[in-house]
Amino acid sequence: MARRDIATLFRTPWIIISRALAFIIQLFVFAYLISGLVVKFPGFFPYYAVGSVVSVVASISFIIGYDIFEEAEEGLLDYLLTLPIPRREFIIGRALGGAIRAMIYTIPMFALVAVLENFSNPLSLIAAVLDLFLLAFGVTGLSITVAVSVRSANRFDVVLALLELAVSRASTALYPLAFMPSYVAAIAPFSPVTFAADSTRAALYGLSLDLTGLVGLLAFVAIFLGLGATFYFRRLEGGVYA
Amino acid sequence: MIERDIRILFSDTFLIGIMFANFCIDLFVTAATFGNLIGASYFLRIAPGSNLITAMVAAFQSGRDIWREKYIKDLASYLLTLPISRRVFAFSRITGGVARSVVATFPGTLVISYLYGILFSPRLIEAFVIVAVFSLGIVGLSIAVSAFASTIEVFATVRSAVQLYLSFLSTIFYDVSLFPAIVQPIVQTNPMTWAMEAFRALQSQGSTLYPISVLIGPSLAFALLGALCYLWYTRL
Repeated sequence: MARRDIATLFRTPWIIISRALAFIIQLFVFAYLISGLVVKFPGFFPYYAVGSVVSVVASISFIIGYDIFEEAEEGLLDYLLTLPIPRREFIIGRALGGAIRAMIYTIPMFALVAVLENFSNPLSLIAAVLDLFLLAFGVTGLSITVAVSVRSANRFDVVLALLELAVSRASTALYPLAFMPSYVAAIAPFSPVTFAADSTRAALYGLSLDLTGLVGLLAFVAIFLGLGATFYFRRLEGGVYA
Repeated sequence: MIERDIRILFSDTFLIGIMFANFCIDLFVTAATFGNLIGASYFLRIAPGSNLITAMVAAFQSGRDIWREKYIKDLASYLLTLPISRRVFAFSRITGGVARSVVATFPGTLVISYLYGILFSPRLIEAFVIVAVFSLGIVGLSIAVSAFASTIEVFATVRSAVQLYLSFLSTIFYDVSLFPAIVQPIVQTNPMTWAMEAFRALQSQGSTLYPISVLIGPSLAFALLGALCYLWYTRL
């Protein structure tokens, strides 16, 4: 299942092209130009560069939800369910596939930022990749939960886009906490993207482990993978979400 | 047809709510944070961008609906049997899309007008005119894309590319002079640039006539492209 999901993403190069284009424009146009205007926070560009990789991981991990929604709509899910795979393996395979493909996709962007910012410590790089993987795994669970809970295609599209926007913007991935309006600063520390961004920056810049971020990420993975699996399982087998 | 398209929008009020939530995140999170990072006046400078981005999302929903009618719902053949000429049909889809976009951004336009101090002035009408003219072009583009996109991935990719162009290669966040000289013509021909300039003219109590008249050019061109593509598409 995981291998199939990875292949699915690479069979649709359009998605890869659009997200890669978005990342490049965001980094080399937006971040570059705006960092010239941001005088109150020196070093905004490097801050934004690492954060934009974290945002991309979250964004790509959400795509699994679109796949699952489309499969149900197009009737492909019925075929998938006839395959000789236990349901639990099927669900874990979906989540794992979603997370792995997000990582495969993001690694070149992460490498680009690592070269730009001169991150060369192998242990720091491994720790940062681990943080990103945990975020991808958790967001995949969240995306599956939404995909099996929302019925209308239009609603699903907009809800997922809003969720994607909310978890990225209300986090420290792209903006420093000290400059956020108080109502955002109050919730941003609890965003999974904040956990991942803080932990990744601690690994890359401070060469240290951000335990709060790591524990937060693990909790996020456990909660949403559990929820996603439960909802998906119920939908497959009938019940309130069927 | 126009009424049908508007009814489709209102059939899901949750969707309008979500679009407003999207606008609020853009304005009260992103723009407010950049206001803190750069300066209070910067918040007001980029504020209309949040509303225009919502207009862009709403406008692209029209194209997406047309795409779904053909490929998912299999409704296109039924709609084409209705006793309406193809030209009126194409015109109605575009007008319906513009109306939907103006409705979806209605609360956002009011918020921006409040921030700019024109909520209770006749200039409020100008704010809605800017949103409508801007949406006209984007609805045309989205219908053109829906006519040629055979898969939803292609549609989503082109939509993302257009959104990137409108958002980052425009004057939402920075002045045109900050761009490299080679990119400046792209920024200056971007409809978003002129919609932003028109809103900023409202803030400074200036005339919106010039930016709106420049904005009409690309908007009409994109609307015409959308209509032609739709006529081609309705030949099935």
